[in-house]
Amino acid sequence: MPLRWTSLLLVLIASEGLRPRLAQAEEPLHARLDAFIEAKAKADGIPLSTPADDAEFVRRAYLDFAGRIPTAAETKAFLADTSADKRTKLLDKLLGGQEYATRMADLFNVMLLERLGDNPEWIKFLKESFEKNMPWDAMVKKMLRADPKETAQPGAAFWLAKRLENYGQNPVDYSGLTRDVGRIFLGKNLQCAECHDHLFIPDYKQQDFQGLHTFFKNTYLAKTVVGERPTVEKTPFASVFTKVQMATAPALPGAVMIDIPALTKGMEFSEQPDKKTGTPGVLKFSPLKEISERLPTKANADFTRNAANRLWFMLLGRGQVHPLDLHHSKNPASHPELLDLLASEFAGRNFDIKYLFREIALTKTYARSSKLPASANKAAPAQYFATAIERRLTAEQLLQSTLIATGSDPKSADTLRPKFVKAFANQAREPEEEFTPSLKAALFVLHDDAVLGLLAPKPGNLVERVAKLSDADTIDELYLAILSRKPSTDERTAITKVLAKHPDQRTEAVGRVAWALLASMEFGVNH
Amino acid sequence: MPRNPLCTPTDHRVTRRRFLGSAASAVGLSSLANPLVAEELKKQRRQVLFVWLDGGMSQLESWDPKPNTPFGGPFRPIQTAVPGIQISELLPQCAKQMKHLAIVRSVSTQDDSHSAGVERIQRGDPKNRGVTYPLLGSAVAKLVGPGDSGLPPYIWVKPMSGGFIYKDAGFLGPKYGALALGDGKPPENLLRPKAITAEEDNERNDLRKLLDKNYAAQRRTELTEANSYAYEMAAQLQKKIELFDLSKLPQKDQDRYGTHDLGRHMLLARRLLEEGVTFVKVTSYGWDTHGDHFNGAASLHPKFDKPFAAMIEDLADRGMLDNVLVIACAEFGRTPRINGHIGRDHWPQAWSVAMAGRGIKKGGVVAGKTNDKGTDVPNDPVDIGGLFHTWFRALGIDPTDAQYGNAGQPLPIAHEDMKAVKEVLA
Repeated sequence: MPLRWTSLLLVLIASEGLRPRLAQAEEPLHARLDAFIEAKAKADGIPLSTPADDAEFVRRAYLDFAGRIPTAAETKAFLADTSADKRTKLLDKLLGGQEYATRMADLFNVMLLERLGDNPEWIKFLKESFEKNMPWDAMVKKMLRADPKETAQPGAAFWLAKRLENYGQNPVDYSGLTRDVGRIFLGKNLQCAECHDHLFIPDYKQQDFQGLHTFFKNTYLAKTVVGERPTVEKTPFASVFTKVQMATAPALPGAVMIDIPALTKGMEFSEQPDKKTGTPGVLKFSPLKEISERLPTKANADFTRNAANRLWFMLLGRGQVHPLDLHHSKNPASHPELLDLLASEFAGRNFDIKYLFREIALTKTYARSSKLPASANKAAPAQYFATAIERRLTAEQLLQSTLIATGSDPKSADTLRPKFVKAFANQAREPEEEFTPSLKAALFVLHDDAVLGLLAPKPGNLVERVAKLSDADTIDELYLAILSRKPSTDERTAITKVLAKHPDQRTEAVGRVAWALLASMEFGVNH
Repeated sequence: MPRNPLCTPTDHRVTRRRFLGSAASAVGLSSLANPLVAEELKKQRRQVLFVWLDGGMSQLESWDPKPNTPFGGPFRPIQTAVPGIQISELLPQCAKQMKHLAIVRSVSTQDDSHSAGVERIQRGDPKNRGVTYPLLGSAVAKLVGPGDSGLPPYIWVKPMSGGFIYKDAGFLGPKYGALALGDGKPPENLLRPKAITAEEDNERNDLRKLLDKNYAAQRRTELTEANSYAYEMAAQLQKKIELFDLSKLPQKDQDRYGTHDLGRHMLLARRLLEEGVTFVKVTSYGWDTHGDHFNGAASLHPKFDKPFAAMIEDLADRGMLDNVLVIACAEFGRTPRINGHIGRDHWPQAWSVAMAGRGIKKGGVVAGKTNDKGTDVPNDPVDIGGLFHTWFRALGIDPTDAQYGNAGQPLPIAHEDMKAVKEVLA
């Protein structure tokens, strides 16, 4: 008997399906995340891609955490490094590096503001937050509170203030503001529940929209800061279908309503607004204060899951829940236990963004190649994370990378940035979540002097420098500088042929080769 | 027996790719060298001109006047070129073209908001299946294909900014999105700088293509295909730069269409249709006349009347009405009841849509009617799904048979509970 028990136990331990659960207690988070991904792929017979090679990995990590491709020297040094833990060392260098905060400010600006507008104080708030690794809940609290008395980081209020502007001749889009709070901070797009319960998502109720809306309906833009008018009664609403009259106080989706205190008219403010200067008053009952204290909390599962899902998306190109803003019971995570774990660990670590990014970046899943597995004749569905998903580069990543690649003056970024944003960013209010090639971007790369000017030979820049080398060295240097890898044999042959045609105009020919590398798909995505 | 010039073995392969293949693979091909084949292809064109009056044109001051009724307003109806059919006096030029037109007066749709309504109408308001349906332009680009023009299959001429509006395509994917020509101008950076010769341009692009081919060989190919498509389109458009120079057209054309936005944009649309672009959408904004409606209409409607009638006349003269389906539509009509600001508000319950050309009955037709006051459609209301059926049928596509495939999920191309308005179909 004892012998049979032992063998049964051995069978259990060897069983692949049990690994994640057994792994939980002792292994670091990144290993536990991998276990979920691998177990599901194995169960469904999905082959996984091989690990990314060093060139692919170093490029990916620099783009993610420094916002640019590595320089040729950085790539060479990483490829030459023979230490076993060089990938971990690279990640730690980048996460602790100068460029981390700038990159995160760019990444989060695009996600949070969706190109609605620019504001130096806002970018300063983001940069400072990431320099100090401010916890995510604290950042969100500042954005939602939008306190006009905040002097240390007044830029935090821009998230709300920008959305309280009149949009052209239209009135302030409070519905859009409510939708954005739901989408961006809770992962729930409640837009279609404004006038009735959502027709196709039973979880999304009109009450959810109206309750959230009630936090914001009395906010207004007082010049540059956010003011609040008193909220003294519930918001009445009725479904356009049932016409049943309802009313709600401020309430988070699915949560109980907040009591609106009964205050005598004229007694709502502890500090009266100043009509002359337009300075907003201080309310005794401030719905913005309420939501800033209630929404970004460990207890709010919508908040923690949305945040964990978006951080996962940022490094892996697809949410566990996808689309990112449609969390509901009929749209579960691809790996439900993984998202649960990620969310609880994130909350448990006091919403430490850098910790979570580091753990995700240490996974084998993050380090997988974007090349399909040799055994697969077509790509597995993206939700398996079997092959690295090619990710869109922001206009800022493209600009910084182009400057690094072409050996151009980093100061030219200031003048070039608006042009790159115009060519590569989406229109305002459109999330930039997928790589979407466009005619506009193609024409920019083909013909705009903002790109072509960087490829004209100038003392010390890439084209001028490598044109003087032998063919083999010229080609190697171009590839390392622009694509962060060495050329394949047939690429080397093709380019050698091109260079041989232009012995008298070698520099110009080198410029065109450099252009082709810059214009390639491979340069334009994080693969 | 005369041989069909299309059916030489190699040409057949090419044309099959053009008509049935993906836009991405077909656009790259330049016009066929054989003029006989080119001519034959031209005859087989299936095209659409979609005129969108954003904000909603009043049916009462256009296709469905109600004189001497409480809501009829001050304008009179006039006789058209077709005995028995009257339209508003604000559309005198259209009245002359009535023999080419078909009006559906029993349109009754579901959405009275602009923000949702515009897309809902242009998507044909299908049953919800959890996917984002393509707008009509993207749908036709997919179902009909890019044709023989070498230009993008879906071009949108609009005021203000342009760009590549991929969102229109919904689940069909970015390559079926719209190329929007802001204010009818060519896209920025269209022309190659003089410093780069054609040979040099080819050389650098050949290298780019080689790199992309190598890159895609081991990876998912969709993104690279979409990227190549953007570059192919750039190459094709550069060859057609003269299209955008309306000053080369006879002064008479410019006079007939008018020099206002919609006039210039319609004239550009005619040129694009002549080039063989599959779907041209022309948008005019500012039709949302909640206040001072009658003065508004008196100034707005002629801006539509003149170029629309000129377009119909020109397409008829050129024999192009056999190929081009013309549609004038909006997200809804306007309320019969006149509001306190002497305006008309949003009215999806009872409004009109006009069409002409390919697959549409000739001689002048009116289908359906509203009640006496124009407030409702008493019998057989036609929702946008029914109009989609009508338009697809006019293009020779059977919507009860054709389907989209979305990652294995078959999807009907039009609302399956609705059907075409037979009275207007040829």
